[in-house]
Amino acid sequence: MTTPGLTVTTAAAGPRRRRRRFDAFPYLLLAPAALMMVVVNLVPIVQGFRMSLLKLNQYTLSQFMDAPFIGLRNYRGVLLDPDNPVHAGMLGALRNTALYSLLVTACAVALGLGVALLLNRDFSGKAAARTLLMLPWVVPTYVVGTLWGFMWQRDEGIVNHVLVDVLHLMDHKPFWLIGSNTFFAIVIPTIWRAWPVLMLIFLAALQAVPEELYEAARLDGANAWQRFRNITLPALKPVIVIQVMFQIIDNIYSYNIVAMMFGKGAGYPGEWGDLLMPLLTRQSFSYWRFGEGAAVSFVMMAVMLVFVAVWMRTFRRSMTDEA
Amino acid sequence: MIPIPRLPHDPRRARPHRRGGRVRRRVAALALALAGAAGTAGAVELTMWVMPVTNNAQHDIPALIAPWLAQHPGTTVRVTVLDWESGWNKITAAAASRRGPDLLELGSTWMPAIAAMGGLEPLSAAQLAEVGNGAPYYAPLWKTTQVFGHAAVYGVPWYADVRAAFYRTDVFRQAGVDPAQAFASWDAFHAALKKINGQVVAGKRVAALAYAGKNDWNVVHNLAPWIWNAGGDVLSADAKHSALGSPQALRAIEFYSSLAVEGLVPSNALEKDSDILEGAWVGGDYGVIFSGPWLMRRIFEAPADAVVRNHFDVAPYPAGPAGHATFFGGSNLAIFKGSRHKAEAWSLVRYLGGKAPQLQLALLSSMMPARIDAANDPAWTSRHPVYGRLTAIAADGRAYPAIPAWGPLEAVYTKHLGQVAELSSGVGEPWSVPALKALIATTVIEADKVLEEAN
Repeated sequence: MTTPGLTVTTAAAGPRRRRRRFDAFPYLLLAPAALMMVVVNLVPIVQGFRMSLLKLNQYTLSQFMDAPFIGLRNYRGVLLDPDNPVHAGMLGALRNTALYSLLVTACAVALGLGVALLLNRDFSGKAAARTLLMLPWVVPTYVVGTLWGFMWQRDEGIVNHVLVDVLHLMDHKPFWLIGSNTFFAIVIPTIWRAWPVLMLIFLAALQAVPEELYEAARLDGANAWQRFRNITLPALKPVIVIQVMFQIIDNIYSYNIVAMMFGKGAGYPGEWGDLLMPLLTRQSFSYWRFGEGAAVSFVMMAVMLVFVAVWMRTFRRSMTDEA
Repeated sequence: MIPIPRLPHDPRRARPHRRGGRVRRRVAALALALAGAAGTAGAVELTMWVMPVTNNAQHDIPALIAPWLAQHPGTTVRVTVLDWESGWNKITAAAASRRGPDLLELGSTWMPAIAAMGGLEPLSAAQLAEVGNGAPYYAPLWKTTQVFGHAAVYGVPWYADVRAAFYRTDVFRQAGVDPAQAFASWDAFHAALKKINGQVVAGKRVAALAYAGKNDWNVVHNLAPWIWNAGGDVLSADAKHSALGSPQALRAIEFYSSLAVEGLVPSNALEKDSDILEGAWVGGDYGVIFSGPWLMRRIFEAPADAVVRNHFDVAPYPAGPAGHATFFGGSNLAIFKGSRHKAEAWSLVRYLGGKAPQLQLALLSSMMPARIDAANDPAWTSRHPVYGRLTAIAADGRAYPAIPAWGPLEAVYTKHLGQVAELSSGVGEPWSVPALKALIATTVIEADKVLEEAN
């Protein structure tokens, strides 16, 4: 049917005539951030990768990026050569870092979640308690390392004083900064500093869970554990998954606490206290093996990228709250 | 032909005027610049990097160079005080980029590395002649201004760090130990430590000896004199290999660490650093500590009723089978390669290398002068009897070979020798000679790998 004076367009013709024009405005808005990312991240990454292919040491440092190109020899050296100074102690540091990351993450998340559940109730002084509990997180990590370095001293430190003289939990004062206890000497301050921020994040997530769900569960006769397992935990799952991932990344890259606690000499805390980042810093910067240090950094970055990819893939549905 | 009217803004007309204006402006600017330069003829600003050699170096160093400034009107010196922790990174970055100060202080073990990087200006024959070719300075310190195996000289020794045994005279007296005998041999020293260990003096139980463990920057400096005195060395004669695996070096490390195993060094000292232990020695906790002249400053700053103030003395390192050498370090002054005022920088370096400024710095800092005549000057030796004794002990001073790879090598040594203290603490694996040998064998492998790069 046609009406005089009326032009009818077909459905197919519409989009062609009203084709969306390229709108540069969003790209303009994004450009500064993208440029910043390139300058701050991409350029150093590319330069770092180039460094990992160079014989860049004390004797070639003045040539910097023009130092002799040696291909993948730095990677072979640090990964496979047992006599390579950067490789020395790497397996021990790898073991310590894995244990340290798992232990710190598990304890910090459990503690943060537990205290968040306690604080997610109404009681007088709640705001003050929350503020006080946040204090460890406010202390910078290098201060944490220095302070705990004094607190762990066998005879003068407050830890042994409390454990032995006050609580009588031990019959003698152990060394914390010598021997295998160095592992706990770095784990405990890290947990002490990490859990408050997790508590705050979990508390914020808890407050977003609708109260009606709990009321309905109570009407159905669900006990506290059932309510936690079937309502709280699923509601917090996206937050927990993300926070666990961040914690693992943070802890694998942990440096400050070890460096401040044991950094007055070679920065080597001993067989049980050495982590990957302090090892990398010590054995590439102190030994002036910058090319090999860059190679280890790239290996670590690759491992972390794989970890993050696997983690994201495994928990993708949990993170997007589609579970 | 119709002529093309020339408009006022026609570039073909305007251009000569503009060019003429530019030339005039340039001439005027040049004239102004020349006039300005004439007004401040010879105006030079030197930049100088130093370490915190005194408690207030930012004030004391300008005071030290004030007489030189009075002789050089129009010259100013901008002093930047670095710290020992971050100074190394700042200096190496400057050496790599060729952008840094005009003159700088360098730790004696740092100098060869920075020189090998091309960061320092070698002294000319004329400049060397001006400083007597090094004759006024202690020979081991003068060697630290060179790179091992090379003739070029890169600076002038500024002040010295000489190590000695600081001991409590009251504790020795109470234990019936004659200090003259106590440091005569390792056996005598061992016997003396056993006698003084546990003495109660002024109501305080005194432990015999203090030395730090792994968390300290002095690990190698503490151990080196024992190795030298046993007839060993930290490096082979050609400085290409570690010499820690020699029987003499092992004997020294064994003796030194056995003092902690026996309890003559309390095990809790091994988790502390030198700074804390020196404070504890001043506080009366230990009978003997090996330290340097800076400890004098700390003693003088102790409270008036501190028992140590009037009951201490120094002695050389206990004589081993091969003598009683001590560690001799310190700082040198050098001219930065990238300096644009090398002549003025040298003039200041030469001045600070002179007797009077070295003496003045020594009195300000308690660090020993690097010049022999200044270290023997009554102004230094009569300040306190201990200063005179430190000068005498310096005669047996030894420095490490000035190799560019000393920095990485010291890091390797500090890492592993710090573990010797761990071994002797009684925590974990028990101390034994085979365990010690295994640890040193690992050290030598890693050290040789680091040295391999340099060879």
